[in-house]
Amino acid sequence: MDDRAQRADWRVLVTELRNQRRGLLIGVGVGLAWSVGKISVPQLTRLAIDRGITGNGSLLLWTMLILVAAIVAGVFAGSRRYFAFRESRLTETVLREKLFEHIQRLHVGFHDRAQTGQLMSRASSDLSLIQAFVVMIPLTLSNVAMVVAVVIILLISDPFLAVIALAPLPFINVAARQFSQRIHPAVMAVQQEQAQLANVVEETVSGVRVVKGFGAENLQAQKLAKEADDIQKASMDAARIRSRFLPAIDLLPSLGLVAVLGIGGHRVLNGDMTLGGLVAFNTYLTLLIWPLRTIGMTVALGQRAATALMRINEVLSEEAEIASPVQPVSLPASTGQRVVGTVDFEHVSFTYQGTDKPVFTDVSLSVAAGESIAIVGETGSGKSTVARLLLRFYDSQSGVVRIDGIDVRDIQLQDVRRAVGVVFEDTLLFSDSVASNIAFARPDISFSQIERAAQLAGAHEFILALPNGYDTLLGERGYSLSGGQRQRIAIARAIVADPRVLILDDATSAVDPSKEQEIRDALATVMKDRTTIVIAHRPATIQLADRVVFIVGDGTVVSGLHDELMKNNDAYRAVLATYVERVVS
Amino acid sequence: MWSLGGAVTDEEKLNRAQVHVVLRRSWSMARAFKRTINAAIFYVLVSVTCVIAGPILVRTGIDQGIRTSNETALNITVGLYVIVTAIAYVSGRMQYMYLNQAGENFLRVLRVRVFDRLIHQSMSYYDREKAGVLVARMTADIEAMAELVQWGLLQFVGSFFLLTIAIVVLFVLSWQLTLVALIVLPFIIIASVKFQRDSNRAYLDVRERIGLNMSTLQEGITGVRVIQAYAREDEQVRRFTASNRSLYDSHMRSVRVSTWYFGFVEFAGIAAGGLIVGVGGWLVHKDQVSLGTVVAFVLLLANLFDPVQQLSQLYNTLQSAGAALLKLYGILDSEPEIGETPDAVVLPATGDIEVANVTFSYRGVEQIALHDVSLTVRHGERLALVGPTGAGKSTLAKLIARLYDPAVGVVSFAGVNLKDATLESLRKRIVVVPQEGFLFDGTITDNVRMAKPTATDAEVENALRQLGVWDRFLTFPDGLATEVRERGSRLSAGERQLVALSRAALVDPSVLILDEATSNLDPGTERDIEAALEQLMKGRTVIVVAHRLSTVRRADRIAVIDGGRVAEIGTHADLVQRGGHYATLVSHWVNPVQQNT
Repeated sequence: MDDRAQRADWRVLVTELRNQRRGLLIGVGVGLAWSVGKISVPQLTRLAIDRGITGNGSLLLWTMLILVAAIVAGVFAGSRRYFAFRESRLTETVLREKLFEHIQRLHVGFHDRAQTGQLMSRASSDLSLIQAFVVMIPLTLSNVAMVVAVVIILLISDPFLAVIALAPLPFINVAARQFSQRIHPAVMAVQQEQAQLANVVEETVSGVRVVKGFGAENLQAQKLAKEADDIQKASMDAARIRSRFLPAIDLLPSLGLVAVLGIGGHRVLNGDMTLGGLVAFNTYLTLLIWPLRTIGMTVALGQRAATALMRINEVLSEEAEIASPVQPVSLPASTGQRVVGTVDFEHVSFTYQGTDKPVFTDVSLSVAAGESIAIVGETGSGKSTVARLLLRFYDSQSGVVRIDGIDVRDIQLQDVRRAVGVVFEDTLLFSDSVASNIAFARPDISFSQIERAAQLAGAHEFILALPNGYDTLLGERGYSLSGGQRQRIAIARAIVADPRVLILDDATSAVDPSKEQEIRDALATVMKDRTTIVIAHRPATIQLADRVVFIVGDGTVVSGLHDELMKNNDAYRAVLATYVERVVS
Repeated sequence: MWSLGGAVTDEEKLNRAQVHVVLRRSWSMARAFKRTINAAIFYVLVSVTCVIAGPILVRTGIDQGIRTSNETALNITVGLYVIVTAIAYVSGRMQYMYLNQAGENFLRVLRVRVFDRLIHQSMSYYDREKAGVLVARMTADIEAMAELVQWGLLQFVGSFFLLTIAIVVLFVLSWQLTLVALIVLPFIIIASVKFQRDSNRAYLDVRERIGLNMSTLQEGITGVRVIQAYAREDEQVRRFTASNRSLYDSHMRSVRVSTWYFGFVEFAGIAAGGLIVGVGGWLVHKDQVSLGTVVAFVLLLANLFDPVQQLSQLYNTLQSAGAALLKLYGILDSEPEIGETPDAVVLPATGDIEVANVTFSYRGVEQIALHDVSLTVRHGERLALVGPTGAGKSTLAKLIARLYDPAVGVVSFAGVNLKDATLESLRKRIVVVPQEGFLFDGTITDNVRMAKPTATDAEVENALRQLGVWDRFLTFPDGLATEVRERGSRLSAGERQLVALSRAALVDPSVLILDEATSNLDPGTERDIEAALEQLMKGRTVIVVAHRLSTVRRADRIAVIDGGRVAEIGTHADLVQRGGHYATLVSHWVNPVQQNT
């Protein structure tokens, strides 16, 4: 990665930290106060010994002063931690919101390529890495201040002894950093092996019928034993690294303490040093151990935060390809009896990014206001693409898509999407009440409007039968509905949106055939006087529409009545037949 | 600055009897590597002794060397200090290695044994237990203990010894100063216990809110198409911000809990040192203790307070490890329901299948799945099972393959009750091919060979050729050695199905039980599958759970299963003529357009 890219990555964090400078500065200030408290303790101990114990001064005074230092250090130790965590959690929180908002507004083409899990880990584990680094910033600054102060004090009181005693300490820092660098890949290797074992378990459990069917239990058990051995090996590798570094990090300061006792002891004997001074020297050295370790750790955390920032920036630097025009045109209003909602595809050609097979080649298609059409085609022929282009999820490479005569690219994005209402094949319901899910497009509507939409969609009855009726919570943690019930809620959702153009994208595919009749009746009511595009393959649903648009495999379309096409078009019959074979189970 | 082990909920806390069970069973498993454990404990003891020896040596240096101006004594002390440090390093390394070795050995044995138990459970066990939970037992639960093994065990054992030895040594040095130190100790213990409780509660709340926040996040990402289609981005951002801020608040509550604790611990440590200096100095004046002892006490204090903090913080790690172990031992204790009788016989090569008065219901389900079902399938006959979803077709097929045992009645092959047959011969004679080809990580060959691990390459080739799919798989980049990746994602659904059929061909069973796929495949692959199936079915008894008319038409006889009973059975012509269930079904198949209209 070159410098400029790296700087761009850091900018995201630096901007945020600048916004939080007040809290961060308080954190650093509090940290410095803590350092002062900590540093004064060995001095006071020295004075207590030299003046209070070996001398004839007041022991009580110095003891009391140590207690005062204890209070100062205690109060500020807690609060420096508090501010460090408060600010780092805030950074994490704000960046997560930024990321979410950005992801929400990115074009659908981006989401086709991106994996949900990847985006999730940007907003969770990567941000945790950044938090772990930010929390160390104020802590490390006060640690550094303390290290510098202690080193100066020691150098002033006895330069020679200071140099000897401090000599092993930089190695703590070096060792801590090296340890951090070496243990990281070792820990990753362990996780890798754990993931492989999880794979074996997972495939065995989900494929248990196959395993049992062929009596392959022992085969899988052998696979697992191998993975368990690998984990053990990788874990022992990590343990070896720990065993090499951690005792060394623990014991390096002892070398300094030995030097103090040896050299310092002789100095006291010679009268060059007081006994209190020796003890103070000793305590100062122990004071340095933790700060030096954490400074090493902070460097390693910074490196990890940098790679996390890079991954986050990859998402943030992605620009929304579909956006509102600078000078938007508004859609003609629906005045009095004039029905709006004409749809025109003029010479549209479209290919999905990353594929070479065009979905549409020079396709033209018009739907009059209030008319309903059914789109029929083989799986993968691009039926749903009609809906997606109309919603402006994508822009076509050539040609124009118009709603009420206006190019969708000239209309505010929000207006396009208010004009077009879609019921998708795989219905997504949110973790919210049934009522809120129906009122999704217009949260401010009255309850009676919600009920009416549910009635129209044939959902009212089963909703009333739910444990809490319209207040029943749905979604991952809520009540789980059947596929057909979900689709009916989605239809109600589209009805509430009251769009000019309604698109039903295989919207009844999961509905039980015995219930489908009921929904078809409901749909007929909704479709009355509304431009509707029905994407379907069940003949009965197709017949709801005024006319059929058949997407032929080669990217062109044929339009006509269902009966006509059944009679004259072999390809049409063949496509319907492939679906028909599978309806019974 | 370790991040300390996860929080524990009240349900996870073990009672006394459970703790006893966990300890007893863990010990009986760990006994196999007792020597490693003994070595580990030995080195921990040596390390702890070295830690305490440091301040004692400083005391000797001051009292015997400096205060009495005895240079030799001082030099000897310094020399001893160097030796102690060297020993501490060596034993420090050894304790890590031995403890980890013991711990990792334990985990390996646990993994292998638990999995072995799991894999030999019968199908009904897998119906009862959620797949996710079983996977979690083998992964998250065992990994929770890995943390304990890697450093927790060392800290626990080390802290325990350190605390015990430190108190004894302090008492020997000066009982008066020990009393001063012990005035502070209870406060540290109380604070640590309270902190452990409060932070556990706070952390549980954080964990809960992280979960909620993640679901909101995930919903925003997976639902982005619906959100954008309805132009609801702003509303979603508001929703997410609300849940994100509530997570922040929860984090802050947890930080506040630790703020006072860390502040107090810092205060108590320094204050105790001050008290020792003050009281110690007074005692020095009265000639009750030596100055070296006072200094040694100041240095040893940390060894008294740190273990208390560590032990209290380890409490959570130990609790969750205990809870995990209890669940794992539960698995080790469960006996598989389907097993072999001691005098099991090998099934004959061919024979008729006889289902006699079989009644069956799934465990934990009240509804009876099969009701007094009897039917015979002659050797070489093809029987299609049709009927509505949930009528019991698949259940009947599973009983014939002895994936379950009937509650009442007998399923037999060539006159042998399946319960009396060896499992090995049963799996050889009767093979089930499920709806979708389930592939395991590995190559195509691996996946075919899993059906019969002893098969030679020639046998595998033969099976593939027999089904006419040999050439198709040869066109893959690495031919049959192509890695299919996780769940066979490298292959299409149709190709996976072909692999599944090849497995069956390799086993060369007498009876084939097929669950026909309902999903859509591209027409080309579908033809290949049809052809392969046709080859596979040749000369075998076939029982097929059918969804398509074309399949049903190729069967010799058809059994209509409805409400767990055989409603009708006979040839296509017979049943159509009878004008019952089957006739209605066929009319739907033939003319679906009229359906429901």
